[in-house]
Amino acid sequence: MFAFDGGYDPGQASHTVLLELRRTIERHPAVQHASGEPPGQFIRVVATLDPAILGSEADEGTLTLRWYAGETADADPEFAFHYSESSNFDCGWHHEPNPHVDGWAHYQERLSAGNEYEYEAVSFDSLQPVPLLWGILDRLETRLTDR
Amino acid sequence: MTDESGAELWKEHQSAFDRVRAVAITVSEPKPADWIAEQAHVAGNTARDHLQRLVEMNVLRTTTGGTATQYEPDPLYTRMQALRDLLDNRTRDDLLELRGDLQEQVEEWQTEYDADSPSDLRKQAAHTDTAETTREMRQTANDWDILAYRLQLVEDAIEHYSDYAGSTPAPA
Repeated sequence: MFAFDGGYDPGQASHTVLLELRRTIERHPAVQHASGEPPGQFIRVVATLDPAILGSEADEGTLTLRWYAGETADADPEFAFHYSESSNFDCGWHHEPNPHVDGWAHYQERLSAGNEYEYEAVSFDSLQPVPLLWGILDRLETRLTDR
Repeated sequence: MTDESGAELWKEHQSAFDRVRAVAITVSEPKPADWIAEQAHVAGNTARDHLQRLVEMNVLRTTTGGTATQYEPDPLYTRMQALRDLLDNRTRDDLLELRGDLQEQVEEWQTEYDADSPSDLRKQAAHTDTAETTREMRQTANDWDILAYRLQLVEDAIEHYSDYAGSTPAPA
């Protein structure tokens, strides 16, 4: 993503992705509403979900999306797609430096807010934001249904 | 685990055109049509048709050099789209208030970390005592980069408010 002066602007590249993720996620049948948060600042997207459509018995669920396109145009993105629900269960697919697994890509979950997270290395078919989003929505449904 | 069924879900809810658009508008570097086709789960010729249309709509632009035509978002379109989103349902006063909030947040980070910029903060993050602190500082640096761009947009929207918003009265 090139800024007007021809240079790469990580803020612009990331913001563009966040706008597109918000637009796209609203197409998923479980998503009731998605907005840029905090209000006006828009450094992440928060989507309100209907957990029943994803196979969960919880009353409420939210999916929070963070995306950073990388300091340079050819750097790997840093991101997190993190789900939490009113039952206190939460889980997420992250791609960022971390001390828990080799490499950046991992899945983490905990059964309740008092529990420690469990981490597992994963791989993603694509690091492109929109295909990745749909892949993760599908993994989330599988996880919630199999629980 | 593969994301094949994620692709099925995507195809069910977004058209081929939408998928090509969504991939092409979010690339960090120019990409050829075949690469975009693969990511968007459409045939190469379909992608080329849609990409051509997106270029005509000024959503994308092509770059020269290399053997194949490469596509990237048109920076003017990207900026206009972000401005439009920012201006929706906001008066000039709302934008002035938002500018204040954004500036305040940046000043908080500058003071908290004694850092001038996101890259300065990233340098500091490399030399902390715990992995958790490093993670938090890197994440703040990422947020800061996004906020800095956001602040530029708000400045632009305030400066050109009457041009962008037109002469319609501001909502009460």
